[in-house]
Amino acid sequence: MIRYRLLGLLTDAFVFALGFFSLISPFILPQAMSLSSQTAAFPIMVSLIIMLCLLIMVFEAQSSLLDSKMIAFLAVLTAINAGLRFLENAIPGPGGFSPTFFLIILAGYFFGSRIGFLIGAMTLFVSGLITGGIGPWLPGQMITAGWVGQSAVLVSLLVKQLEWKDKPGEIILLAVFGALWGLFYGLIMNLWFWPFLGVGIGQTFTQTATALENFQRYLVYYLTTSLIWDTTRTIGNVLMITFMAKPVLKIFGRFQQRFSFFTQEDRVQP
Amino acid sequence: MNAIVWILWLTATMTFTLTTRNPLYIMIVLGGLFGLGNRLAKERNMTPWVLPNLRFLLTMILLSTLINGLFSHVGNTALFSIPQSWPLIGGDITLESLIYGVINGLVIGTLYILFNTINLALSTKQITRLIPHAFHPIAVVITIALTFFPSIQQRAREIKEAQMIRGNPMKKISDWIPIMIPLLVSSLENAILLAESMTARGFHKQTELQSPRALVSLILAAFMIFSGWILQMYRFPSLFFISLYILGTSLVTITLLTIGKQANVTRYHQETWTKTSMFSAALIGIYIAGFAFLALIGRLSTLGFSPYPRLHLPAIQTLGLIFSLIPLLPILVLHHD
Repeated sequence: MIRYRLLGLLTDAFVFALGFFSLISPFILPQAMSLSSQTAAFPIMVSLIIMLCLLIMVFEAQSSLLDSKMIAFLAVLTAINAGLRFLENAIPGPGGFSPTFFLIILAGYFFGSRIGFLIGAMTLFVSGLITGGIGPWLPGQMITAGWVGQSAVLVSLLVKQLEWKDKPGEIILLAVFGALWGLFYGLIMNLWFWPFLGVGIGQTFTQTATALENFQRYLVYYLTTSLIWDTTRTIGNVLMITFMAKPVLKIFGRFQQRFSFFTQEDRVQP
Repeated sequence: MNAIVWILWLTATMTFTLTTRNPLYIMIVLGGLFGLGNRLAKERNMTPWVLPNLRFLLTMILLSTLINGLFSHVGNTALFSIPQSWPLIGGDITLESLIYGVINGLVIGTLYILFNTINLALSTKQITRLIPHAFHPIAVVITIALTFFPSIQQRAREIKEAQMIRGNPMKKISDWIPIMIPLLVSSLENAILLAESMTARGFHKQTELQSPRALVSLILAAFMIFSGWILQMYRFPSLFFISLYILGTSLVTITLLTIGKQANVTRYHQETWTKTSMFSAALIGIYIAGFAFLALIGRLSTLGFSPYPRLHLPAIQTLGLIFSLIPLLPILVLHHD
């Protein structure tokens, strides 16, 4: 059991390192900035590596889906969340406001990292299928939304450590976490196409610039093009979590008990 | 056409679009995509398809031209200058950088329209069916989610109407709590019913598809492909990175096939391989093989185009023209069918 958990943790660490390294390669690998060596293949290669990371993560996480209860639960939660994203497409809110993240965060917080990751990734995939949003951007969106749900387990560890369960501090921590991801999501998603737009931008991407200089340039790009957009997502996440977290977590608690039915087979082989 | 043929076609068109950067070839690809997309949209009685896509394309071209023109000051033909003291954008605005921006916009727009076309061509069922058997539990989740989706939407509408009748103004986020909570509760009640039905029908336990060995194989394969990419960036001999690409891809394929064989999958309404599909697959296969051969002998650069350092007309080659006709293949097949 410990071996499996260790393997799971190592897998998570490897996937995060590989995906993150691919995304930040323009900052640290001078060759990734070279116009002649990369041309337009860069975003496709990054997408491919992100897709492989996603494949590994989903393969690892699907071991949580070995019974009908988890399958039904995850499917319904994904359908609700995809419906919220459909609502976002049909009635666009201000900027990057999206009502989907709060459910991903709360599911990850309550049910653990694997379920959180799967809800995040599956929501983006199912809503992509429904809204016709399948494209090279989808693996990046899926893995980032998966990371949102997966990392929510950190809040639950912190809440446990601080003994803030069912206290206002719990909601405040979740809201802060949602706010941070509101910004990080845009920051990570921009990295996927920024080098593509930036290939020809001589002053923004130079081979002679240090990683720090290039990072500063990326920050300038981010502040001028995405910050307002992502701020609305951040505010949206904070509001949604502030208003919805308490009743939704209560429902999760109630249904967690109701989903705990066993078959005879389960009892024989606990 | 069979879904696999569509995926092959998508791969071929995407690879060509990303490789060439010759505006003429990209325009031919775009023309073909607009023709195909329009036809598919008409078949599905969809609202005007060309206009929104054209609007997106033009917006992308405009944005990309502006960004590239303002930030990149490479090129010999200076149109006007911005004072050097202006941060980031100070310098010459060159014709070459503007044209480069136009080409970038064209490529991004083409990719977007290509995926929009594939979204029209493939049904949700076909896409779900493409999920490898190794991800069987995930495929089941997606299928159930897609099945539940319309009823959840319907229920959300009903709850919303009921709330509005009771005087809920639906203006603030807090006004959405009386919709969200009943929706969540009723949907999870349905999930319990579904789980019980699945258990009663012997669907309680899924086949255990995960094995540490398979997981390690996938990690190893990802690392090989990633290493190949790094070696390619640093211009190592092609033998090194191509071997790593082939090894990595083979390892992923073999692992997924081996694991997938363990899944108990019911097959019904299977897609058929018609003669036209087989012919198209063979044709696209030859196309991809030809492309790979050109890449191996280093001839792909002849299909490319760069406006730097001084703007010149792009070269036109018969080979490039033939390659850029790929979007026409489905049109011919659809016409034939």
